Amino acid sequence: MTQLHPQRLMKIAQFELVRLFLTKRGLLAVAAFTICWLLILRYPVGQAVTIVSSPELAELAKQVFGAIGLSKLLQWPEAELAMYWLIALYSFPLFCLFLCSDQIVGDKHRGTLRFLTLRATRSEILLGRFIGQVLILAALLAVTLFATLAVMAFRDVALLGGGINRGAIIFFYLLITVMPFVALMTLINTFASSARLAIVLAVLFFAVGNIMVGILTWQVPMFALLDYIFPGVQINQVAGQNSTLFSSLGIPVIHSVVLLFIAQRIFVRSSL
Amino acid sequence: MSTLIHAQAITKRYGSKLALDDVSFEIQQGAPVALVGPNGAGKTTLFSLLCGYILPSQGQLSILGSKPGSNALFGKLSALPQDAQLDPRFSIVHQLSFYGQLQGLSAGASKSEALRVLDLVGLSEVAHQRSDDLSHGMRKRVTIGQSLIGKPQIVMLDEATAGLDPIHAREVRELVANLSDEATFILSSHDLTELERLCNHVLHLDKGKLIEHQAKPSELQTKRFMTILFADNLTDVEQRLLSLPGVTRVYMSQAKEYVIEYQKSDKQIDIELLNFCYQQGWRYRQLVNGHTLENQIFTQEKA
Repeated sequence: MTQLHPQRLMKIAQFELVRLFLTKRGLLAVAAFTICWLLILRYPVGQAVTIVSSPELAELAKQVFGAIGLSKLLQWPEAELAMYWLIALYSFPLFCLFLCSDQIVGDKHRGTLRFLTLRATRSEILLGRFIGQVLILAALLAVTLFATLAVMAFRDVALLGGGINRGAIIFFYLLITVMPFVALMTLINTFASSARLAIVLAVLFFAVGNIMVGILTWQVPMFALLDYIFPGVQINQVAGQNSTLFSSLGIPVIHSVVLLFIAQRIFVRSSL
Repeated sequence: MSTLIHAQAITKRYGSKLALDDVSFEIQQGAPVALVGPNGAGKTTLFSLLCGYILPSQGQLSILGSKPGSNALFGKLSALPQDAQLDPRFSIVHQLSFYGQLQGLSAGASKSEALRVLDLVGLSEVAHQRSDDLSHGMRKRVTIGQSLIGKPQIVMLDEATAGLDPIHAREVRELVANLSDEATFILSSHDLTELERLCNHVLHLDKGKLIEHQAKPSELQTKRFMTILFADNLTDVEQRLLSLPGVTRVYMSQAKEYVIEYQKSDKQIDIELLNFCYQQGWRYRQLVNGHTLENQIFTQEKA
């Protein structure tokens, strides 16, 4: 990325935060998100300890979790955090495909981008918007994590110290995990004509892409390597805490960098 | 005078369509410059190239010594792109302040600057409204305001008065005239009378090719022209005007309007012309020293 001015970059990122938290549409999105998470906190997370502590259900959980490689999670004393980890790890990437669907496409369509490009480089706009979206997701992750810790502390306050430590690690891993999904939406935004189309293209990329790679792998097993083009390829391994540091953090960081690089190359050459 | 913009052999193609064909020109610091031409002539393409929104297929373009879109031009060059709108989710002052901050102003200074430019376009009272709450004309004036943030050296206004009522169009013209000492304006418009009032240098685009005009006559020209617009339809005007000493040719340029060609001399031929009209009982509405810009361009396009 060339021509990056840190102050302009951060101003653009800050503006994204305002877009979510100080505009009507943004507040509606936050309200819908809050209601979903209140339900998640009330039922799966709130009931997590009941599932784990019940002898019959615990045995079933051990068998099911063991079969899918999640047995390590059952050892966590903070059962609420284990449940939060699983739900957040799978739901946040999906959620961010919708949340980050309009990074530049709306401004491009409206012509607002023409005002911006007279005051900031295209690379700054692209990366600033990406950072802004990551900050928004960080804020939403932090809020839901605090709420989970509160539910856990309400059950057993003694777990709070360990829970905060584990929560900080979870937060970091989740944030790194969602980054390539945000970057994918940044890339799609450079050529999509609307936010809705950006979501459709992202869904098609995962759905059709996975089917095609599946067919190719079935013909030639070596094509299984193509799975690595999909953001989140490591999620199943990460979920059960069975992955290496490279797999947990390295792959999503590499994905993000590559996707942002391609997005930047397309965006600096595109007509506004 | 320093050169602000230097374009050399600019060509822009959209697929097989040639939008600009080997266009070269220079724009100096000073009076506003007009960019005129019929629909599809390449005006917006040239604006977009100057703003860095698109890249030329061939040729070199330099603005204040930098390439269009370069960060060296931030705060020095601004524009009102055709049909561009502010984000309807934010208040106007919030967005204009944000633009000011991107140009390097502090939070406080950018808000003051946003209010200053809104005041310039007569819209201080809508500062806290969203662009969707405004009429088309008000939105246009707000976007003109955004182009004045930070007092840039070059301001490009694409169809700035299109869609404005006559009062506000006149206010925008006055604003441009008042600020022409601080910035060099490049204006595109279909209102040639408006451009004639404001601009000396005219870039006339037609089918992607550029023809340059001087809207005001040069002292070096030996043949002189006047254009007179009468209030009524008159008969035998050409023959009668030819009887005036020094007049070499008279022709009707459009309804009620005549172009008078005469030899440069010491005589005050304009005074003699007006006296002659008075004697004939002809009421006139307008006398233009030279060709009107409209006639120059019409003649060029018909040629």
